[in-house]
Amino acid sequence: MAEVKKITRKEEEVRELIKAEIPWEPVGPTPMPEIPDLRSWDMRLLKTYKPWYAPFCDLCCLCTYGKCDLTQGRRGACGLNIEAQQARIILLACLMGCSAHAAHAGHILEFLIEKHGPDKKIDMGTFIELEAPNIRTVTGLKPETLGDLKTVIEYVYKEITHLLDSTHFGQEGSYLDYESKALHASMLDHVGMEVADIAQIVGFDFPTSVADTPMIDMGWDSIDKSKPVILLVGHNPATSCTVIDYLRENDLYDKVEVGGICCTAIETTRYSDRAKIVGPLSRQLFFIRTGIADVIMTDEQCIRTDMPIEADKVNSRVIACLDKAMYGLEDATEWDTEEIVKQMVEDKKHFAILDPQKAAEVAAKVAMKIAPQRKKEWISEEEAKELAAKCTRCDMCERVCPNLLGLGKAMKDISEGNYEEPQKLFNKCIGCGKCDQECPKNIPILRVLQVVASKETWKIRAGRGAIMDTEIRNVGAPITLGTIPGVLAFVGCSNYPDIDDVADMVYEFAKRKYIVVLTGCAAMVAGMKTFEDGKTVYELFPPDFDAGGVVNVGSCVSNAHITGAAIKIANIFAALPLRANYEVMADYVINRVGACGIAWGAMSQKAASIGTGCNRLGVPVILGPHSAKYRRLYLSRKEEDDWRIMDARKREIVDTGEPSPEHIAYVAETKEKAMIMIPKLCIRKNDTPQGRGIKLNHYISLYKRYMGGGLPEDLHLFVRRDADIPLVYKKEVRVYLKEIGWQPKEPVGLPTYIGTYPSKIPLDAVIH
Amino acid sequence: MSAMIPFHRVNVLTGIKSARLVENASEYANLINKAKRPLLVLGPMILEETFWSRERSLDGKPVIEYALELAKAANIPICATDIVKGTMLKLGTKPDNVYDAVEIVNHLKDPDWNGVRKEGNHDLVIFFGIRSDLEEQCLSVLKHFAYTHLKTMTLDKYYFPHANYSLTNFRKDEQWKAFLESLIDILLKGQK
Repeated sequence: MAEVKKITRKEEEVRELIKAEIPWEPVGPTPMPEIPDLRSWDMRLLKTYKPWYAPFCDLCCLCTYGKCDLTQGRRGACGLNIEAQQARIILLACLMGCSAHAAHAGHILEFLIEKHGPDKKIDMGTFIELEAPNIRTVTGLKPETLGDLKTVIEYVYKEITHLLDSTHFGQEGSYLDYESKALHASMLDHVGMEVADIAQIVGFDFPTSVADTPMIDMGWDSIDKSKPVILLVGHNPATSCTVIDYLRENDLYDKVEVGGICCTAIETTRYSDRAKIVGPLSRQLFFIRTGIADVIMTDEQCIRTDMPIEADKVNSRVIACLDKAMYGLEDATEWDTEEIVKQMVEDKKHFAILDPQKAAEVAAKVAMKIAPQRKKEWISEEEAKELAAKCTRCDMCERVCPNLLGLGKAMKDISEGNYEEPQKLFNKCIGCGKCDQECPKNIPILRVLQVVASKETWKIRAGRGAIMDTEIRNVGAPITLGTIPGVLAFVGCSNYPDIDDVADMVYEFAKRKYIVVLTGCAAMVAGMKTFEDGKTVYELFPPDFDAGGVVNVGSCVSNAHITGAAIKIANIFAALPLRANYEVMADYVINRVGACGIAWGAMSQKAASIGTGCNRLGVPVILGPHSAKYRRLYLSRKEEDDWRIMDARKREIVDTGEPSPEHIAYVAETKEKAMIMIPKLCIRKNDTPQGRGIKLNHYISLYKRYMGGGLPEDLHLFVRRDADIPLVYKKEVRVYLKEIGWQPKEPVGLPTYIGTYPSKIPLDAVIH
Repeated sequence: MSAMIPFHRVNVLTGIKSARLVENASEYANLINKAKRPLLVLGPMILEETFWSRERSLDGKPVIEYALELAKAANIPICATDIVKGTMLKLGTKPDNVYDAVEIVNHLKDPDWNGVRKEGNHDLVIFFGIRSDLEEQCLSVLKHFAYTHLKTMTLDKYYFPHANYSLTNFRKDEQWKAFLESLIDILLKGQK
């Protein structure tokens, strides 16, 4: 007789939290998983995609035993070696990212529960029934109200505490276990992001169940400088939406201009299509230094930490609106509004105001009072030339530039009135301002560059939130068969080698009928370049989650809808149960969903956790060259690694020899190489011959374009049978395959990792 | 140990072991000649069309030509990273191997890897033309995880602390050019 497993008190508590008694799906094996619960899945991933560590620092200096030199096999005083130290730092980065989104979610949830009550229903619109794929998959709870989301975020908080604990002196010692923990933290990040964005969509009535969202004006020149200007910077829309409400309610919306930088800008335009987007993070300091913003309202994440200092330079006023960043300012939350306004206007003071309603009122009043005295403007050509002429070509600016730009040469060109090369350089500037502080001649380099900054304005489509279930039903089959060659997610920050890169890649792959989705800074910069007829990618391509569509999903927290879409394919299209069934979802995604993330300008810890969360779900991510400084990639070695897989139909392990996907966290040095890699990383073992042919067609054609001819060196690894060879290259590929002695292989009927590693998941669980 | 600070400050060393600064081309030539299985890894910054800094060419001669001459002079196999292969083919040289920077480094750190010519892993790898922050990170991988079997060297015009052997921060392109020409010359003489 089979032994009946005793349910522990802890398990009972979890079942209560996830309302296990509601039978929308059977509860899967890992409800609200803790650190060890998905460890075996992680170890399977890490067996093929081994961590590649590039230490940024040879030492550990996290405790007073140190500094400890960890080179050449040395261990620190605690016993930790260099690999585990790198993995520990990665875990810390992922935890920072995860906690930033989780705290954002927690704050916005409190704000909206205060406003609407905990019983406010979650309604994502007519076309979205599967409202929370990450939450349902990870926790097993189907959230029905804002109050349910609170249960979810409290689970995330609890896990963060345990994970952070493991980074303390004298705890975890294995780099693989640290990686597993980083993967866990990053999976939780997608849960936290989903909580945040569902709450925002429900609480602020952001667009949902719609593709054709309004077009928004973008670019600094879209800001009407004749009006008082309020600039919103950060990620949390509690303040920005309240500002819009205040202006509407007081009949001021025509009189005050509202613009945003970074994700708050995207959130604000989901609330009001009249708000403007100044640009991504990389344009923050640059725009602030123009002095066009009368009042700068900051909330959280990716805001300049020297905002009051920068604001003082140009007579702008700062209101810090969230406790995450109070800048040492006086907390005026309880003060009389008129007194705050008076001090900000007359004494040029900045304040922290943590009540969004009060902050909004103060911002509007202060902006209207000080705007008429605004003196700062764009630099004149004469002033720029004069300042640039002071440059002695000492190259200190170039030496400190994170993007390695030849700024001294640009100063020389500008001083001589030659703007062509400096304009190109400005497109590569990430706007950190480090050059300014190094200049021995005190040239305000960032300000001088205003003279070459494009005054173009562009159109971007407002973020639309989750992918609709109806869209998934339409594209599920072509994606898994490979006839839609891939779903590409352009995400992450703006630490780009060149700001045009993202738009170029989006344009190329939308034309090739990939589905392109975007979030955050990547969504903004994709719209900051025009193509034929002077149109941006948002004007040129349809907004549908379908072949050739370009979809702005929304802000950073909207990244959860991208992983959510992958889960939806497994659940809605393939009918695999998702409830507390993460391992099965991830196994489906890595083996059958041709998706690839491109975090081309990834810079922050949030980007680290977003990307690592994609990796645990089986979505490979291509990173830009800066990202080697994250210290860790997940790479395979295609010729040597073990590419055996279970064919669930035949119930036997098959040696495919096919490295698909080849890597799951990889750095490309140039845009051109990234464009060759993208189609390759969308190849999956599940592709039909027709689908594989389409994917190989893109791989070969982009290879030929950027490598100047020939065939990819690893092409033979991806051709299973003659039918996989794209028609247009048939002859050439056949000759090549014959030359190298290629032998055909049987495609795998139903590829899965289940059955190739120790797991509680039965093979039948992946058969649909 | 050298106290040299790299040109690009993002590459400043946080640690104890930094590259030996080599200013004499014959010393570099000796190191290359002593190696049993050297490998030259070329990056896209040596291509004129993608070069980001001032040295698109050295006195009108594309930087990649110096790299190819050097490889030929010492019979060093070439791993072409990124999109370097295309330009190499145009110049009539086929790379021995095509990997990206992070991929070749991933192979090099394994002492049991068979190398690009299937003759065993390399004992000296020479980097040339990878974006300096990425190159320094690649060198870091090898410094930490390949120190038992591999030495690293750079030919770029800046100092790379994570290498075993590095050139200095050349103030003028002419100095760099003179070094490369001298190195090629010595290697050629060695062949004869």
